[in-house]
Amino acid sequence: MSLLDVAAKPVELAAPVARKPARRWTLRRILPGVLVLWLVTSVYIVPADQQAVETRFGKVISGRVMPGIHFSLPWPIDRVTRLKVRQLQRLVVGGDISDGVLGRTQPLASQFLTGDQNIINMRVVVQYSVGVPVDYLYQTQEVAKAVGAAVEAELARRISRRNVDAILTTEKAAIQEETRAAAQKRINEYRTGVLISTINIEIVTPPPEAADAFRDVASARADSARIVNESQGYANDVIPKARGEAQQTLEAAAAYKQRKTNEALGDAARFTQVAAEYERASAVNGRRLYLETMEQILPRMKKLIVDKSGNLDLTIIRKGAEPRNPQ
Amino acid sequence: MKWNKKHYRAAGAVALLVFLWLTFFAVRETEFVLITQFGKPVRTVTEAGLHVKWFFQTANYFDRRLRIYNPRPSEFLSRDKKNLVIESYVAWKIQDPKRFVETVGDPVAAEMRLHDIVWSGLSAALGTHDLDSIISTSPDKIQAQEVLDNLTASTDRAALAQYGLQVIDVRIKRLNLPEQNKQSVYARMRAERERIARQYRAEGEEQALRIRADADRQKEETLSAAYKEAEKTKGEGDAESTRIYSQAYSRNPKFYKLLRTLESYKKIFDDKTTAILSSDSELLKIMMRGESGVQ
Repeated sequence: MSLLDVAAKPVELAAPVARKPARRWTLRRILPGVLVLWLVTSVYIVPADQQAVETRFGKVISGRVMPGIHFSLPWPIDRVTRLKVRQLQRLVVGGDISDGVLGRTQPLASQFLTGDQNIINMRVVVQYSVGVPVDYLYQTQEVAKAVGAAVEAELARRISRRNVDAILTTEKAAIQEETRAAAQKRINEYRTGVLISTINIEIVTPPPEAADAFRDVASARADSARIVNESQGYANDVIPKARGEAQQTLEAAAAYKQRKTNEALGDAARFTQVAAEYERASAVNGRRLYLETMEQILPRMKKLIVDKSGNLDLTIIRKGAEPRNPQ
Repeated sequence: MKWNKKHYRAAGAVALLVFLWLTFFAVRETEFVLITQFGKPVRTVTEAGLHVKWFFQTANYFDRRLRIYNPRPSEFLSRDKKNLVIESYVAWKIQDPKRFVETVGDPVAAEMRLHDIVWSGLSAALGTHDLDSIISTSPDKIQAQEVLDNLTASTDRAALAQYGLQVIDVRIKRLNLPEQNKQSVYARMRAERERIARQYRAEGEEQALRIRADADRQKEETLSAAYKEAEKTKGEGDAESTRIYSQAYSRNPKFYKLLRTLESYKKIFDDKTTAILSSDSELLKIMMRGESGVQ
């Protein structure tokens, strides 16, 4: 008692108190001190990361008190409840969050039934914060349980209308987003005052009893992609080569045409020139050309000269290159 | 001890405080208050804040907040005789404290009643629906939402009329198969996966073959087109040269014949050729006869 007194009125605390009869004096001093303390309870501070709800005799008079210093009627008339509204809270649907930390090989996850009647294991992590403080505080008995139930129901509903392949591969993000939106709508109906920020499918696996078959599908898909790639590689090799070869053929043909034409033109020009000269003195030129040719070809050949009257013994041809006894 | 004025005053103050304490009561946002008079319910206070009652009346507090109740997972039989384990939840709250206190009294008893209503409702609903109206990959078959909406509405009606409870929602949290069915499901899943794996591999093979065949076809097409074009070009060249030659040669066919024949001699005769020349031939006449050979 005297300690409170000291706190309230430090200046008046003096030595004489001890000497005088204590009871009367302390009673008189306690009362104003207590009164001041009581009035002090009407001032309250809301920290920057929080919001507060103020109630008077249990009835909400201010549903959202923002950070700062505020006044209310003293206890027990008004009461203030502060809430860390922005702090994200974590909730695990299906399995316990500590499993991963403990390093279990097969973390606990809950079984869900897919639309094509496959069983899959899932674990989902929900993160939420306080959206409406009044509702959060006063409308639901166990907020986390309500949020978890709503999320799980919406999740199960979405799982039960998709096939297992879609859930395991492409549809994961869609399921997360749809579940978040639908669960938010549902908990708004319940007035939990909660704002779901994310729903994250942490684990989605086939049951261990069928896991190897699922892995084989994955490797089959990889195999398939690999052989398709290989054949594409083949196509990429063959087709450009064929194009090059085709171009080569075309170029060769064009060259041939050009060569043929040019040769013909050259030959024709030469012939025309020579023919012009030849015509001027055809007999002499004819003879000259004839003899020149003979000069060129006869030296290479084996020659047998026979008299025009004599009979030709054809065996001499067989006797070879150097007939010793020509007639 | 003799009572003086002071004592009476103190006693009066205490009596007044007790009287005020019994008269005024605060109702929080989370509560309903049922005022009973000697055990008999008189009225319900639903508004939070400070309220007044007679000092001889009693205030009974009830939690009015929404609660989530999870009934035990139960097995149900669908119309097409398939077993399904359903885990549901019920979102409920006390709506009518008077009726609540008269019929069930406490939340645990209320949840037992809810369990019965929901269980019979679910089992009736499943009994009139095939399994694929609950789980199916074709969206137009699924009627789960309608079933649950109806179940919620009927449960709400029943619970409110009988026990003063409001049922906000009945939903299915989890669908599963009974343990004894799971092994066959796993076997089916494995078989299905094996089929899919085979299909993937075969499809890959198919696509690969198609790509290869297409590449080969393109190669053949390209090459043959080039051949066609090339032969045409060559033919043009040949035709052109023929035309040029004929144009030139036809002006002097005799000379052409001479020239070309001599030209071909050069090619026809080589060192393996044996020529039998008559001494009377044009070339050798002069050699044989001297000048007289010249005509």
